[in-house]
Amino acid sequence: MNDMRLLERDVDTNDIKIAARDVQVYYGDTHAIKDVNVDIADNTVTAFIGPSGCGKTTFLRCMNRMNDTIDIARVEGVIKIDDEDIYDKNVDPVQLRAKVGMVFQKPNPFPKSIYDNVAYGPKIHGLAKNKAELDDIVENALRRGAIWDEVKDRLQEPGTGLSGGQQQRLCIARAVATEPEVLLMDEPCSALDPIATAQIEELIDELRQNYSVVIVTHSMQQAARVSQKTAFFHLGNLVEYGSTGDIFTNPQDPRTESYITGRIG
Amino acid sequence: MNERHIVSSFDRDLEAVQALIVKMGGLVEQAIIDAAKSLELRDEELAEQVRRNDARIDALEEQANEEVARVIALRAPMGTDLRVVLSVMKISANLERIGDYAKNIAKRTSVLVQLQQIEGTSAALRRMAKEVETMLKDALDAYIHSDAELAQDIRMRDHDVDQMYNALFREFLTFMMEDPRNITACMHLHFIAKNIERMGDHVTSICEQVIYYVTGEAPEDARPKGDKTAYDLTGA
Repeated sequence: MNDMRLLERDVDTNDIKIAARDVQVYYGDTHAIKDVNVDIADNTVTAFIGPSGCGKTTFLRCMNRMNDTIDIARVEGVIKIDDEDIYDKNVDPVQLRAKVGMVFQKPNPFPKSIYDNVAYGPKIHGLAKNKAELDDIVENALRRGAIWDEVKDRLQEPGTGLSGGQQQRLCIARAVATEPEVLLMDEPCSALDPIATAQIEELIDELRQNYSVVIVTHSMQQAARVSQKTAFFHLGNLVEYGSTGDIFTNPQDPRTESYITGRIG
Repeated sequence: MNERHIVSSFDRDLEAVQALIVKMGGLVEQAIIDAAKSLELRDEELAEQVRRNDARIDALEEQANEEVARVIALRAPMGTDLRVVLSVMKISANLERIGDYAKNIAKRTSVLVQLQQIEGTSAALRRMAKEVETMLKDALDAYIHSDAELAQDIRMRDHDVDQMYNALFREFLTFMMEDPRNITACMHLHFIAKNIERMGDHVTSICEQVIYYVTGEAPEDARPKGDKTAYDLTGA
């Protein structure tokens, strides 16, 4: 059949940003991720979908070594970003996380001013030589977070005083301020209303120009709307991975079909 | 897919839209049979009934469109479910068109009863209509049982209908050349034959929808096209 997808839905690149090979994750005795192999493309939004407890968030957290912070978690296999093994002992997890930004389910601004929320990362990573440069970085990040116009006159007010949707966009601005190459989003819209969700989704599409975005979402509509590639996880296995259009209209695996049509949960 | 949805009202919605197709299909089958019968028996009353009943088919198509729009808006169907509602929309349009052709046959029948009967042709037309009606019945069976193989078989049978049309086309030409007084009747009969041939095309399209919704892919091979009259030279 001819590919009828809109042109803008096309994946512009075949460059692989993240390559995972035979990844296993254990929490104590629980085998949470089983033999996951996946290539995540650059300048692409990749959605991870699957029922609760299927391992999608666990796998997402492997990509910036967030699981290192959990004592009983053990990660096996190879995850390479730009051909570099991120679990190599020479890799500093703090530097890695500057390169692989993350946005969480609940907006979690620091209890600081809006300005400092965004300036914090660039400061500790020494990305600005002086105040003027830092101001530029903050403005730029807030603009990319699509929140500049709303906060430009109140940069010194606390970030926690913003609305939920604004806080989440502030967190995205904070995540992009350190110039990451990959942006991981763990259900970034689950606490937001439809308008704020639409703003974030628009933002994700714009971020795709510069980053590889991986988003975990429980909303299949959202996965369908924002992503070019979709991966379906079930019971720790990566069941199916393909173009979003194919996954949602004609999935090949019966488990994917059952899940997206609302037959298993 | 025999598994039920977690939300059982979703199953009921899907069953409801599919039931509309079955209902429409029954009415359309009857319309084909009655139209052919009214032609053969020169039964004006039956022809009039076919024309009246077409309104019910049209109303069902409208209902199907509304239900499909509702399911898409409220349920956001995906995978097989999406393909089911899309196929319902297209199949109902095909059925509605077949109904229109039956109605047109009935209209022409009302004219033909006032003209000199052309020997042998109405029986041939009835056979052709019977063949299309059987194809439609089988196509609806394939739809109900999600049987893509059966749908593929029926699709190939449309070739026979095209052959019958070709034969009739030549027959009508001969009649008209023999005696110009036959022209009016033969023109109407020819349109009737063409209507039945077009019905076959719509049944084929229904089969393609069945294949799409079962397999997720539209059939790739080109359907055999049997109507060659477009290239015929009169009197050749």
